[in-house]
Amino acid sequence: MSIVVALLQAVLLVALAPLVSGIARKIRAKMHAREGASALQDYYDLAKLWHRCEVREGGSGLVSRAMPPVFLGCFILIAAGLPLAMQACPIPILGDIITILYLMALPRFMFSLASIDSAGSYTAIGGIRELLVGVLVEPSLMLVLFVMAVAVGSTNVGIMANAVATLQAYPMVAVVVAAVACAMACYIEMGKLPFDLAEAEQEIQEGPLAAYSGPSLAMLKLGVSLKQLVVASLFVAIFVPFGAAAAAGPLDILIGFIVYLVKVLVVFLLASVIENSVMRVRYKLLGRYTWFVVGIASLSLVFLVIGI
Amino acid sequence: MLELVLLSLGVSCATGVVSLLCGKTPKAAKTVACVGGMGAAALSFAGGVGALLQTATYVSWLGPMPFTNFSLLLNPLAGLLIAVIAALAFVAWLYGLSYFDEYYDKGIGVIGLFMNLFIASMNLVILADNAFWFLVFFELMSLTSYVLVIIDQTEKSVRGGFLYLIMAHIGFLMIAISFFVMASAAGSLEFAAFRATAFAPALATVAFVLAFFGFGAKAGMVPFHSWLPQAHPAAPSNVSALMSGGMIKIGIFGICKVCFDLLGAAGGEIGWGVLVIVIGAVSSVLGVVYALGEHDLKSLLAYHSVENIGIILLGVGTGIFGWAAGLPWLAAIGLLAGLYHLVNHAMFKGLLFLGAGSVLHATGTRNMEVLGGLARLMPWTAVCFLVGSLAISAIPPLNGFVSEWFTYQGLIGAAMEGDIFLRIVFAFAVVALAITGALAVTCFVKAFGVTFLAKPRSEAAERACEVPTPMVTAMVVLTVACVVLGLGAAWIAPVIESIGASMLAAPALPVAEGVTLVSLDTVSVVSPLILAVLMAAVIAVCALVRNVANAKAGMKADPKPWACGYEPDLSMETLASTVGANVKNFMGPLYAIRYGVNRAGQTMARLIGRAIDPEAESAAPAAAPAPKGASSRFDRDRVFGIAPAEKHAPALSNSVLSIVRDLGAWFGRMESGDYRTYIVYIVGALVFFLALIVLVR
Repeated sequence: MSIVVALLQAVLLVALAPLVSGIARKIRAKMHAREGASALQDYYDLAKLWHRCEVREGGSGLVSRAMPPVFLGCFILIAAGLPLAMQACPIPILGDIITILYLMALPRFMFSLASIDSAGSYTAIGGIRELLVGVLVEPSLMLVLFVMAVAVGSTNVGIMANAVATLQAYPMVAVVVAAVACAMACYIEMGKLPFDLAEAEQEIQEGPLAAYSGPSLAMLKLGVSLKQLVVASLFVAIFVPFGAAAAAGPLDILIGFIVYLVKVLVVFLLASVIENSVMRVRYKLLGRYTWFVVGIASLSLVFLVIGI
Repeated sequence: MLELVLLSLGVSCATGVVSLLCGKTPKAAKTVACVGGMGAAALSFAGGVGALLQTATYVSWLGPMPFTNFSLLLNPLAGLLIAVIAALAFVAWLYGLSYFDEYYDKGIGVIGLFMNLFIASMNLVILADNAFWFLVFFELMSLTSYVLVIIDQTEKSVRGGFLYLIMAHIGFLMIAISFFVMASAAGSLEFAAFRATAFAPALATVAFVLAFFGFGAKAGMVPFHSWLPQAHPAAPSNVSALMSGGMIKIGIFGICKVCFDLLGAAGGEIGWGVLVIVIGAVSSVLGVVYALGEHDLKSLLAYHSVENIGIILLGVGTGIFGWAAGLPWLAAIGLLAGLYHLVNHAMFKGLLFLGAGSVLHATGTRNMEVLGGLARLMPWTAVCFLVGSLAISAIPPLNGFVSEWFTYQGLIGAAMEGDIFLRIVFAFAVVALAITGALAVTCFVKAFGVTFLAKPRSEAAERACEVPTPMVTAMVVLTVACVVLGLGAAWIAPVIESIGASMLAAPALPVAEGVTLVSLDTVSVVSPLILAVLMAAVIAVCALVRNVANAKAGMKADPKPWACGYEPDLSMETLASTVGANVKNFMGPLYAIRYGVNRAGQTMARLIGRAIDPEAESAAPAAAPAPKGASSRFDRDRVFGIAPAEKHAPALSNSVLSIVRDLGAWFGRMESGDYRTYIVYIVGALVFFLALIVLVR
């Protein structure tokens, strides 16, 4: 049963990723008082790219070639392992927080490597930037997950979800503050304004996409959308597990899926609203904002150790 | 099993002597040294692996004096270290079959002798069970490796070697004092006597702290790391692999031996574990931060040794904490993490140093800025280096991930048990490990990407070609070891756990179930093998789907990258300094620490110098004044401490250096060279000793 759920989750998230980013774009357009493209526009883009001839950069090698499948594949695997519809990990060996965080490092590694591989300075700047965002965000994310692990007594995401859903995660205040810090860290990781604009390849963050075309680019765009969805789902899975199936009955799981979709949609809605009501900041100032996240994460640690 | 190891020591020594005698015909000397060395390594590997699962073997021969009993102990921990060093020695010799061709005119016979003696002395340090002999072999190990460091006789290597010699002796001194503290209480220099004595807590703490810093200096932990990035890269690359992969592990071995074995009867203190963890956390972060500033491939790898020693210390520290706090499962998982990472680091760091050696062999330079594009020209080296980079960055499912996973589980499990203060310490350690992980990814994207990808940036890089078969084979062996230690973790972890259990004299803890690794205290599982299968399957499906689409729609190649409409040229490529400059943006304060510490150290050195001899002021190294209007970019980088290490005079060693020099100058004045003065000295000594005898009677 749980294998089926894992497969379903993977397929569902891949299938929905372009829709979610399409909706986010639609919301932005509406907030800018534009009509904007259809929410399905990302599907049209992918379909079009899929049938295009691919142009490979002469200097690039196997790393560039292997990157899009690795990037997409890793996030599919993480998506399959998260406790989304159920309050337990469908595949337990994928449910450890350390495994998840380090599995996210592989796409980042390959993404940046491919950006250097293409021999253009523009792409590489984007790649290095991606690495540094990871350096700035990962410690606070790890601190938050550390607080959660100590609070519930396990590093398994499913057990964390279960503890939060049944309100067994103590101390309560620490968990709530950790949720805030995690939300902020995930928001930065999703690549949204004021830091980034993930779906715009003329932006530096997605610079490495400049070297890709055709099916590889389609796969990479899908991967970037899926990454946003997976990062949002990680937050939802740990801190908002309410409504996910506690038992393994098919109906419970179906309800769990629907509730999950609603939750993740709300998260993206909120993210879009924040994104469109802030200005862009310079990348060099990113460090100041992440210090803020570190501060909140440390606050949750303080609450944890004093036990409130 | 002990017989096999002793036999291998004999073979090593004999090989070394024969290779020295063949010195006139370099080819023969090289072949003798390498083949004999491989034979000795194979023997000691068999002995070490055999000892892993057996109970300890102890032998002792009477020495000429009461304190020189030649005692040897081969227990599972010693077996592990011997096996790791033997594995590295084997590939280093295999690699040497081709690599040493470059050293024909630099005395290959001498290299053969000292490298064999170096390996033999490492094994003897591990085996020795008597403080006297331990120190003798420890010193032998330092001296033989010193010779190997300065074998190139360049200014850089001589300076690095000298620094190494000083730091090795600072460490030696602390270890010796620690042993004498224990010996004074135990009444003997035999380790067996130490083991049987329950030391007073204060005495045990003094002995532990001294031994920790002494062995830590050998291991290259912060703040005793300054020698490592200068000494290791200066040696021939396969010796660097042996030093960075093997020798610094002796430091970890020493810490474990002193804590769990020699002080075992006294029991530990929680504070020891906290000390080890804090130093480990600081080492791991600073190691990788400074590695990011390096442009020299081998120096970069050497700084990563500082980082990885820190990670090993996090595991060992958790073990010490669990042991002292009476939490056996925590002690077991901490030791498992530390020892597993010890093995893993030996494999991937050995691999990466050999890879760097191949790059050096093929292009004649270690400067990443002028390399690039080597993946196309040296595919084997590139693939091996990539696997090593992924492994050291702890990317699943390779071996680095497995040991870091256990390290995290240990730290988080410890935090669940600890009080307020301990929770903060463990949170600090976890965050430090997370920063280290993210920075290591950055650093190895830089190291691999800038060296092997994009287009060649110099003529030397353009003309590079794949290295000879023995060198490729050596790298492939270590690559396979990295993969096997990752995927086979479910079978290897219990063995390493049993070593930890034997050190703690505790029953074994279940750490694996079928193909999954289990962490009982944090209720979590992971399976590198299943993870690998899943990753391979999902990625393969993605690749297949993409390739089918490619086949339908067609592919073209465009030789030039898109450069925002400009004509692309080589100066636009990413350099190591590009990454460094970006990192500096966010990590500036950490580099500023380095600059501050160096300045403080130089000031201290000057003060000490002035105290000893007011007139020697000018001889003491002057602190580099902060350039006001830093003109060049390099000057600016130096202010922030991001410029490569050798531009800085390391603080600690400098103060020692100036003391030694000033003492030397002082003694120099006593030796006037006039024979009449010497007669006065002799008469004086005679009177002194006669008076002593009379007084004692």
